[in-house]
Amino acid sequence: MSHAPYLGTILPRISREGKRAYPPRLSQFTEHFWNGLSQGYWQTSCCHRCELLTFPPKPICPHCWSTEVYWKALSPRGKLYSWTRIHAAPAVFADEAPYAVGVVDLDCGIRLACRLLDQPDENLSIDMIMEIVVLQFEDGPLFAAQIMTKP
Amino acid sequence: MSRRVAIIGTSAIPIGRHQTNDSSHIQTLENEIMTRLVSEAVLDAGIDKKDIQSLIFTLPRPYTRQKYLHTFLIGQLRLSCRGSVMEVMGNGMTAALAFDKACDEILLGRANVALALGINMESAVSASEHMMSSMRTTGDVDFHTSAGFTPIAWYAMDAMRYMYEYGATREQLGCVAVKNRFHASLNPLAQYRKTITLDDVVRQRPIVEPLGLFDVPPRGDGAACLVLASEDVARGLGRPYAVVRGRGFYHDGTHQISDIPNDMIAFEAAREAAFTAYKDAGVIAANIDLAELYAPCTIVEILVSEAIGFFSRGTGALAALNGETRLGGRIPISTSGGLTSRGHPAYVTSLYNYIELADQLRGRAGERQVKNARLGLATGELGNYNAALIHILEAMR
Repeated sequence: MSHAPYLGTILPRISREGKRAYPPRLSQFTEHFWNGLSQGYWQTSCCHRCELLTFPPKPICPHCWSTEVYWKALSPRGKLYSWTRIHAAPAVFADEAPYAVGVVDLDCGIRLACRLLDQPDENLSIDMIMEIVVLQFEDGPLFAAQIMTKP
Repeated sequence: MSRRVAIIGTSAIPIGRHQTNDSSHIQTLENEIMTRLVSEAVLDAGIDKKDIQSLIFTLPRPYTRQKYLHTFLIGQLRLSCRGSVMEVMGNGMTAALAFDKACDEILLGRANVALALGINMESAVSASEHMMSSMRTTGDVDFHTSAGFTPIAWYAMDAMRYMYEYGATREQLGCVAVKNRFHASLNPLAQYRKTITLDDVVRQRPIVEPLGLFDVPPRGDGAACLVLASEDVARGLGRPYAVVRGRGFYHDGTHQISDIPNDMIAFEAAREAAFTAYKDAGVIAANIDLAELYAPCTIVEILVSEAIGFFSRGTGALAALNGETRLGGRIPISTSGGLTSRGHPAYVTSLYNYIELADQLRGRAGERQVKNARLGLATGELGNYNAALIHILEAMR
């Protein structure tokens, strides 16, 4: 696994008070993703053999099972494929409810699911252009998507 | 394989609140419920204790105090076996797998009679606490759970997408809940039996938009036992039985979401498993007389009804609104009341679905009997229908 130079754009970072409600675990492999995310890097694993991206990042390519993977920048923009607003939440997320989550299709051909940020003047709707942002909590980052405001 | 499997006996408790709080003076014991159900199902089947050679249990919820409940129960029943005794787990597919593996015991010749059985107790645990566990069952615990996804949130996103693509309305989804409640009103095993109106459904508080309280499954406790036998045994008993005529399974190779954009609401696994099951049974979708679908939310019933070929893409919601899936309609779905009203004790839910089909195909479904029901279809699934297990049953009278 090579840590190639980062060639993508730096994601907007939004500071959040407190700690993440249910923080992700770090492995030796995914630590690079989460540490990079806290610096605004948006990247995933890509296979040397079949050249396919995958998300979340994985140390083995799910398509051809090659172990030769490298970090590659992801597109920070995409379209909202679907979304919902969760009103009935698990205990650790109860303080945040209701909150929106969605499925975003990035321009680079990767689909992912993440938290969506509500903006006061615009309602979420399918096919909206979204951008990925970093939510920087006191204990680490999460990624989320918000409605793209500038061209 | 020339052997065929028949359902010859069933028993179940009405779905509802059975689990007791730890502080209760008198506790409900899972083993006491199960031993009674086994004796009732065996009586219904008309076989002897010694005929049973395999028992496939569903995994109990983590809240069940007695661990290894399956082998504990074998002791309570003093039941020596030469086939297999085991608990199976497959998330929402758990009970469908228990049924499927019990069928295998008979098909492999390890047993002539096998039980598929289990208990799911969870109602004394609050929804927000229960979700602390269930939120880890769908998606990636590090990359999705950290964002706050819950199991039914994925179905809600299916609903949003379906409404967007096909112009379906909140009311069209809601009519599934109304229909299922009507069916449940006729089912003594159902958790909620008071009929509701479409207005009741759309006025409920939102749970996961656009789905409200009556679009999503209630939480409840359940327990059930099915007696399966080789068709030779079933024939010898001289009573109506339901035979497993076809079976199909498909896992689409993704967990909850495909990182390669796909048609998320096509439910490819249901389509593929149904195709295999129809082929195995030598029938087509139009031959099916009724279906018990694993559909935790109203939208899921609509999407599965399309994926398995009952309706063409985008027309399932309108078909439901037009009463085609109601008792007396073209293809009655969830005559038990479905997961939304019959109830959804998740790890045993599919056992109740097979019981409903067996009741219908043995002609003893009472007021909710589908006239001349001959072929019934049941689905089990996990994730966002990332995998599906489908059985087609046939009435033998």
